[in-house]
Amino acid sequence: MIFKIAFKNIWRNKLRSWTVIIAIALGIFGGLAVISTATGLSDMRQRNAIKTYVSHVQIHDSNYLKYSGLKDLIASEEKVMSYIQESDQVEGVSARLRIESFIQSAGGTSGVVLNGIDPEAEKQVTNIAEMLQEGNYLADFKRKPPILISKKLSTKLNAKIKTTIQCSFTDINGQPATGVFKVVDIFTTSNSMYDEMNAFVRLEDLQSISRLYGSHEIALTLKDEELVEQYREELMAKFPGLHIASWRGIAPELGYADKMMDLVMTIFLVIIMLALAFGIVNTMLMAVLERKKELGMLISVGMNKRKVFWMIVWESIFLALIAGPLGIVTSYLAIQFFGKYGIDLSFAAAGLRSVGLESIIYPTIDSYYYIVISVLVIITAILSCIYPALKALKLNPAETLRTA
Amino acid sequence: MIKVTDIHKTYDDGKVQVHALRGVDVEIKEGEFTAIVGPSGSGKTTLLNVIGGLDTPTQGSVSVSGIDIAKLSENELIDFRLNHIGFVFQSYNLIPVLTAKENVEFLMLLQKRDEAERNERTTKLLKAVGLEDQINKKPNEMSGGQQQRVAVARALASKPDFVLADEPTANLDSKSTANLLDIMLKLNEEENITFVFSTHDQRVIDRAKRVITVEDGKILSDVTK
Repeated sequence: MIFKIAFKNIWRNKLRSWTVIIAIALGIFGGLAVISTATGLSDMRQRNAIKTYVSHVQIHDSNYLKYSGLKDLIASEEKVMSYIQESDQVEGVSARLRIESFIQSAGGTSGVVLNGIDPEAEKQVTNIAEMLQEGNYLADFKRKPPILISKKLSTKLNAKIKTTIQCSFTDINGQPATGVFKVVDIFTTSNSMYDEMNAFVRLEDLQSISRLYGSHEIALTLKDEELVEQYREELMAKFPGLHIASWRGIAPELGYADKMMDLVMTIFLVIIMLALAFGIVNTMLMAVLERKKELGMLISVGMNKRKVFWMIVWESIFLALIAGPLGIVTSYLAIQFFGKYGIDLSFAAAGLRSVGLESIIYPTIDSYYYIVISVLVIITAILSCIYPALKALKLNPAETLRTA
Repeated sequence: MIKVTDIHKTYDDGKVQVHALRGVDVEIKEGEFTAIVGPSGSGKTTLLNVIGGLDTPTQGSVSVSGIDIAKLSENELIDFRLNHIGFVFQSYNLIPVLTAKENVEFLMLLQKRDEAERNERTTKLLKAVGLEDQINKKPNEMSGGQQQRVAVARALASKPDFVLADEPTANLDSKSTANLLDIMLKLNEEENITFVFSTHDQRVIDRAKRVITVEDGKILSDVTK
């Protein structure tokens, strides 16, 4: 009977109850929308970073990362490469020669890292080949060796496809070395900072100019991202002299972003629950004050205060039980829809690219958040109706019947 | 059955002291049909509240069915009211979200009576107050007189030792008042149910078997017809 009265009581003022239910549902929807969008952004940033420049695992000579010395090539490169290529877990592996260079055209100059790559091997590891304007991936050229530069760098250098540009650097003997290349295509990744700092040439061309016949970096991607750390440990055990790092070690800011996202989500959840709590306290307090006479009557005729307390608690639990699923189902449908079709943020594309993001966001959320939100909504509903319920217990039946 | 001895009740809000009852002694026996009358502010509702355990006296003792209710804790008092006293209020005070049947059944549910007994007694009581055809109506679908009859049925549902009614006819028209009094007198005479009213309604006073007049917190007269 207590349940029945409590449930019927919440419909006595339909407008107020629905206002609270919708407010709670919107709170849940807002929270889950923010969490899923933030997770989608974080995942995209991580995915883009891995696919564009970080890859899953990178191998360097131990000194290379400290000094970026030209001479710090990977020892036993062939042995390492063949070991990796034989592994079933590996999706792609690419050896790179990386030289910091001064790049200039008739229209401008800049500093850049020249990446000497095997185009076909690189295609298995990064997605540069998919980000070209005309699809000439260091393949179609005549006399001058080809180079890929980014849209951002081409603007800075005032260079177009077929523009000749010159790259200068100091070779291993401290002597100036120069290479002349022809721009064969222009790429654009989702990270404008990376674009500005990198250019791609064929490995054999760069080896020939620098007379460095090896590579500074081996990058690889795995078929199963979950096995990254395990495979890295396997490589470390096999090649103890080399510096082998997973994407978390190479780009720790991606991991920090994850942690920051967790913190932001926690703060959002706290804000949502506080808003929910205030909504329920307000509603239930009004419901108690409006019904003082009725509650006084219930106590007068013999309903003990424990039952009165639980009747009010159940009223707010019912509100939460209606609002919670409503908010969660709406959120689920919206996240599924936008997770499939994306949220188009083209109007902010430039800003998003500067932090490594694309302009279409695909929200995603761990199902665990639905459970967390459901449990938190129920707990908050119970906690926040305690004050109004205690207020009801303090009613003096004779006084409420006389004055209410 | 009800023995009130030297009852005093003083309300003190920190600024003003109001002496609502000033040494009241009264005894009400089983089967009585008693009206406590007096003008507004005379203390009749306070006396009724003290007898019903809704208010505690500042001084004196109240014994109901041999139990000194002034010594009961708050929870014991609530249980005592549930099992020993039926209440009828001036403005009916039914539970608005429940039907007539559910309102009558409510106290029996609190008493944890079984379903068969609840159904039988609810039907019997609603028939006794002439509302057997209104059992599924909610209070807002009934007239004031009908609501007050449901309130009487509810008051009797818990099988109380007596029924306290605080100005039960104050909001009723003449016909409903006569109807309600007929029902209560019938229950009093046929089933020996004790009724104690506070009222200043002459129609109730005329039909009461005993009239206790209260004024300025004291009993002015006590007349048994």
